[in-house]
Amino acid sequence: MLELKGVTRHFGGVRAVDGLDLLVPEGCIFGLIGPNGSGKSTTVNLITGLFPLTAGTILFRGERLDDLPTHRRLQKGIARTFQNIRLFGRLTVWQNLWVAQNSPEDRARRSFFARWLGGRRRARDEIAHLLEFSGLAHKADEFAANLSFGEQRRLELARALAARPRLLLLDEPAAGMNSEEIGQLRERILALRARGITILLIEHVMELVMGVTDRIAVLNFGQKIAEGSPAEIQADPVVRKAYLGGGAT
Amino acid sequence: MLADLLQNTLDGLAAGASYAPVALGFALIFGVLRRANLSYGPAIMLGCYAAALAHGRFPGLGLGALAAIALLAAVLAGAYVERLCFAPHRRGSAVAAMVASFALWMQLEEIATLMLPRHVVAFPALYEGEPLAIAGLVLRVEALAAIATAAAVCALLAAILYRSRFGLAVRALVAAPLAAELSGIRPARVFFLVFALASAIGGTAGFLVAATDAQITPMMGLWLTFKGLLATMLGGLGSLPGAVAGALVLGLVEAHAQWFLGPQLRDFVVYLLLFSLLAAAPRWMRTPSPS
Repeated sequence: MLELKGVTRHFGGVRAVDGLDLLVPEGCIFGLIGPNGSGKSTTVNLITGLFPLTAGTILFRGERLDDLPTHRRLQKGIARTFQNIRLFGRLTVWQNLWVAQNSPEDRARRSFFARWLGGRRRARDEIAHLLEFSGLAHKADEFAANLSFGEQRRLELARALAARPRLLLLDEPAAGMNSEEIGQLRERILALRARGITILLIEHVMELVMGVTDRIAVLNFGQKIAEGSPAEIQADPVVRKAYLGGGAT
Repeated sequence: MLADLLQNTLDGLAAGASYAPVALGFALIFGVLRRANLSYGPAIMLGCYAAALAHGRFPGLGLGALAAIALLAAVLAGAYVERLCFAPHRRGSAVAAMVASFALWMQLEEIATLMLPRHVVAFPALYEGEPLAIAGLVLRVEALAAIATAAAVCALLAAILYRSRFGLAVRALVAAPLAAELSGIRPARVFFLVFALASAIGGTAGFLVAATDAQITPMMGLWLTFKGLLATMLGGLGSLPGAVAGALVLGLVEAHAQWFLGPQLRDFVVYLLLFSLLAAAPRWMRTPSPS
């Protein structure tokens, strides 16, 4: 589904990501872990096209993404959430989801009236479904800024889903959550996979990563130092050393 | 004395109502793009010139048709300004965009002078009858039209920004540019449409002003940019309700200052007020949050 080949990004003299190869199979929950500053978020930013690659190439469903602008990548089916929440604070929960509906099917309905009549109804149904899925139905008309932290995280996820992605990039979705909320997040991630959405999960919270992923890659200083099943990664001496040496959780 | 005071207040509100849409268009561009567009007024002026030209060639055209021409031409001129000055500097320097818009101002004025070389060009009057007299106060029909238009523009803009998907996209982009872009909202496109919308609002206002005065000059561009900028600054840069309030305050201050201190001191009073406000920097002037 997603393939990174020799992906490299330098910021000045810093090699944030350095020759990264990654293969995320379709229908998989793929974990990307590593100490702070190891290049995980930069990788997500490169996949979504926030800044260009220094070298290497990214393939999505066999197509090169390298030069596509962010909105084209979204239309191809790649959506993401943010490490630090970035909602549209003074839009309601419902409106946050409405503006984010940008799937290719929405665009294919060229006729203005078809969009208005058929499109609006379908859009409403979908939003209602997303609200239900994220447990935010009772907050639909609340401003996003007034939600609790956990609700905001759920809304971020729902907003990414509003674009009907095939691949979802989750950038530290469990940050700041308590273990009950992490449990709910875990259920949601599994439910999304059951619907056929491939997930790239970047996370520090090992409780979540180890419990939900099929496969994990470990980054350190922009390079992949290990890849394998959760059990293999937990047993890997190189990974243990990187984490202990890096002083991260 | 009391009658004068009331009359001045009425005139001031009417003037403020004609400034309000001008200020709204200016503030809309500033609020969304964080860029001052000095060519805002000149683009509207060019729209009115197109209408004046059409009026000269085809005297049979009604006010509605002329208004449509002015609006369309203002939108086209505004789109031209956006493409040339603002689209290339979207991520770049705000000053570069502003300086570029100053250069285009000169160009648009030149085009207007080439279209109609006389300094003062006749414009069809909005209303040619007598003003209304109510309880000793004089009420011009043009003033009523200005107030009604201002109210309609405010309501329409609020509906667009708070109800339509496009308006929500605009506000999303202002609130969280990165997240908006990654949710499929395309900044370049939204900015272009915001410019077109602002030009349409300004074009409406400009047409009313021209039809009220029954004449236009190339100086109209300067006048519109100045009134827009002044009202927007008075209300706190970037705030749309602030721009409307600023426009009304501007109209009222001008009317009273003109009556009590004379036309020479009128603008002086306005600038003194702006200066004091900028020096005092009250809280509402420092919160440029249009979303």
